[in-house]
Amino acid sequence: MILINILSDGFFAAIAAIGFGAISDPPMRAFKSIALLAAIGHACRFCLMNYAGIDIATASLISALVIGFGSLWLGGKIYCPMTVIYIPALLPMIPGKFAYNTVFAQIMFLQNMNEPVLKAKYMEMFFSNGMVAITVIFLLAIGATIPMFIFHRKAFSLTRHKN
Amino acid sequence: MVCATPQQQATFVATYAAHLMGCGIHTSRVVRNTKRVSESLNFAINISVFQKSMILTLLHKETHHTFSEVVEIPALPISFEHNSELSALSWEAIDQKLPFELLETKYNAIISKSRIDPLFVLLLVGFANASFCKLFGGDWISMAIVFSATVVGFFVRTQMLHKHINHYIVFIASSFIASLLASTALIFNITSDIAIATSVLYLIPGVPLINGVIDIVEGHTLTGISRLTSAFLLIICIAIGLSITLFLVRDSLI
Repeated sequence: MILINILSDGFFAAIAAIGFGAISDPPMRAFKSIALLAAIGHACRFCLMNYAGIDIATASLISALVIGFGSLWLGGKIYCPMTVIYIPALLPMIPGKFAYNTVFAQIMFLQNMNEPVLKAKYMEMFFSNGMVAITVIFLLAIGATIPMFIFHRKAFSLTRHKN
Repeated sequence: MVCATPQQQATFVATYAAHLMGCGIHTSRVVRNTKRVSESLNFAINISVFQKSMILTLLHKETHHTFSEVVEIPALPISFEHNSELSALSWEAIDQKLPFELLETKYNAIISKSRIDPLFVLLLVGFANASFCKLFGGDWISMAIVFSATVVGFFVRTQMLHKHINHYIVFIASSFIASLLASTALIFNITSDIAIATSVLYLIPGVPLINGVIDIVEGHTLTGISRLTSAFLLIICIAIGLSITLFLVRDSLI
């Protein structure tokens, strides 16, 4: 059952990455790598959060690192820059639920200005959700970019055709 | 055929750089690619990049003429295809010493290539958002509702952007429409809050968000902050559209 959960998580993440990636017009040859990395990255975060008990921020950072190294490896094979592969692969990990809750809490806060208990509750909801959303987005970008700094010589010449 | 003058070549380099910047590539790659292209044309180059324009100073190594180019950065749709093909072109230019005419022909061929079929993209985005709903714990009915809401919302977005309506208004309108359609999930006794939350996520400007962080980390703080600022403005617009729906249906949500 655990295995099915992990696989289905990876599967839906791959579809999400392909669809959101398609908006940004990636080259056709990149789709396979995007789907593969998105599935591995999201399933990795799913495992870390659900079975290893790691928080969402650290789990996102680790998964983004995995995606970053993966894009360095696959990018060289299909002559694509790292960002072309890892940005679509990161998109399913953007914490949409937390972003939504932030907006929802803001509206409810403004609607309940005269009720101290509810007001405090929504204020807390606004800040905790907003903080998670911003931290995760930042860590996702940083994690995937770190491989580019470590192996900058290779990362900068992925699109070079060697004769 | 008349040989291109250094002036024409300098203008070409500026157009190339502005196009890269316009189609959503992080700044350090734009600078590296442009340096490669200008080196292949025998120029030494210095570049300053801003959000809406860039300044290039090119020194032709044979004639010792200096050219200064200020170009506006066009607002193009994001294209990873252009990113990888134009990057590859810059390596080709320097590795194979491409003559200017060939370089220009190849550049024009790359930028005039058609994008992925919009209808196909529309379907893919619908499926993507539906699987997003699944990832957040939505059930099958919610997924179907999110799929149709996304398809309609994305279609509205494409049509409105096509008519050159202000993109803040486009984002408010399409997030309102998508979330309103998703709120039909309230009729069924299902995970409707997840459906409403995920229905607007196809609008999140993920590429500028990540590019902005990359730019800041790499020291191009100015462009990084401006990318993030414009992305945040769009997110606020999504939130406004979503709030209108939430105002309408909030009593049934609590």
